[in-house]
Amino acid sequence: MLRNLKFAFNSAWQSFWRNLAVSLAAVLSITLILILAGINLLVGHAFSQVLDGFRDKVSEISINVSDDTPLPNVYDFQQQLAADPRVTSVKFVTKDEALTQFKSDPQNGVLAQQIDGNPLDAKLDVHVKNLGDVAAIDAKARQWSGVDPTDPTNYQGDFVNRMLQLSQWLGLAGAALLVILLIVSVVIVMNTIRTAVYHRRKEIEVMKLVGATEWFVRGPFVIEGIMTGLVAAAIALALLVISYEPVVARFKSDVGFIPLSYDPAFISSLATDLLLAGALLGALGSYIGVRRYVRI
Amino acid sequence: MVLTPDFATRPVISFQHVFKTYPTGTEALRDVNLEVPEGDFLFLVGPSGAGKSTLVRLLIREEKPSKGKIFVDGIELGRMKRRRLPHYRRKVGLVFQDFKLLPNLTVYENVAFAMRVLGDPDHEIQARVAEALDTVSLSGKEHTYPANLSGGEQQRVAIARALVHAPRFIIADEPTGNLDPATAWEIMQLFLRINARGATVVMATHNREIVDLLRRRVIAIDAGQIARDDRSGRYHEDVAKPQVRVQ
Repeated sequence: MLRNLKFAFNSAWQSFWRNLAVSLAAVLSITLILILAGINLLVGHAFSQVLDGFRDKVSEISINVSDDTPLPNVYDFQQQLAADPRVTSVKFVTKDEALTQFKSDPQNGVLAQQIDGNPLDAKLDVHVKNLGDVAAIDAKARQWSGVDPTDPTNYQGDFVNRMLQLSQWLGLAGAALLVILLIVSVVIVMNTIRTAVYHRRKEIEVMKLVGATEWFVRGPFVIEGIMTGLVAAAIALALLVISYEPVVARFKSDVGFIPLSYDPAFISSLATDLLLAGALLGALGSYIGVRRYVRI
Repeated sequence: MVLTPDFATRPVISFQHVFKTYPTGTEALRDVNLEVPEGDFLFLVGPSGAGKSTLVRLLIREEKPSKGKIFVDGIELGRMKRRRLPHYRRKVGLVFQDFKLLPNLTVYENVAFAMRVLGDPDHEIQARVAEALDTVSLSGKEHTYPANLSGGEQQRVAIARALVHAPRFIIADEPTGNLDPATAWEIMQLFLRINARGATVVMATHNREIVDLLRRRVIAIDAGQIARDDRSGRYHEDVAKPQVRVQ
């Protein structure tokens, strides 16, 4: 078994270099596919970072407390909310604190100077686990007797719903793109490797005639496929890593309002994904490509 | 020592009412009955398209019979499971007209290939390959590539590969077809030596001189049928001296 494995590795290695032109064609096609897949993953990750930022903002809802609500009532409702499993945190902001917050926001500079007294409500800032639950918390708040009836909450249902929809669509589009890439890549890799195998059909014929088992014949091809896939993944990864930061920087300067950021931590996960995908693609492509010639 | 085949014992190769029709409708073999005892040396002769190569392909299980049964060493080839086929092929040494050497492997690697497939250890491969190359007088050419060898030398490499794992059967399809008469005769000497060691040899050939000179068993195939089976035959039927008929 070990001897066979050693033989398979040796002949895969030799054959990779001996048929360099065909090997390079296979490397090139897998590299291109993996670059596309990598771009898809990076764009998906960037958007999910942006969405996470938005999601964090909109999954917070402020409940405005009417000025005449007694404090025990507010604390009581705060406890009720804190006990709700959908809620992660509740913070009571007094009228004074609300004013300080308002004044400290540079966007409110001019307005803050014109304020006389404190027209702001005290509020309960509620952070909700899932974006989809914000509507329910808003409904609950509106039923509470202590809420300011003129301006109960800052909930913007329409915006949240759109965010939810956008996030779902982006997720679906990314997944669909990956599936399409996967199918296209398997077909391309299979055909490239089938061409490589076609050049070596005589070798396979001799192998079979001297009594090689199907796996003995297939082994070196599958290992060669994995090698090809790994080389392609390494090239694709190198190109993506080199261009990741400059592209994000350029995007930030051109489209500043979208808070895209460079995330070096994602590179290790991208590397694992690409190397694994490359090895799998190469192995699968070789396995299918060699099948026609191997079957005795 | 030359082993004399024992026709009274159970045959190691047996064709029983074998028919072969290809998917195109070509009827290659019709009701072939044949028995080969262990240690026999058998020539298959006949015009091109008579069915010799089909018979060889059936023997190495590249094809299955459309009807009838083929037994080799007690195994019925038509019913043999696909996964058993490699094990069967390891009992057989195959030699072809076009040598079927791997051009990117050296002489040594080509011969060793048949043993690598079996997963034999390196030290055993080295010893046996050296012995096989010595048998075919190619010692010293281990590191040469097939393209740098003459036709006769290439065929000797193919024979070394066929006998390196000490097979019980040697099946050869036109092994001298691409060789000049002197080289063909050298190659035949090798086959005779292999047969003398006990291997059963089945050889399809067009080489009239060799068949007539060696006077071994000759099976003439014509239009898919056995036309003649002579124990000590010639390429063409000898009308002056009637042969001993087996069947």
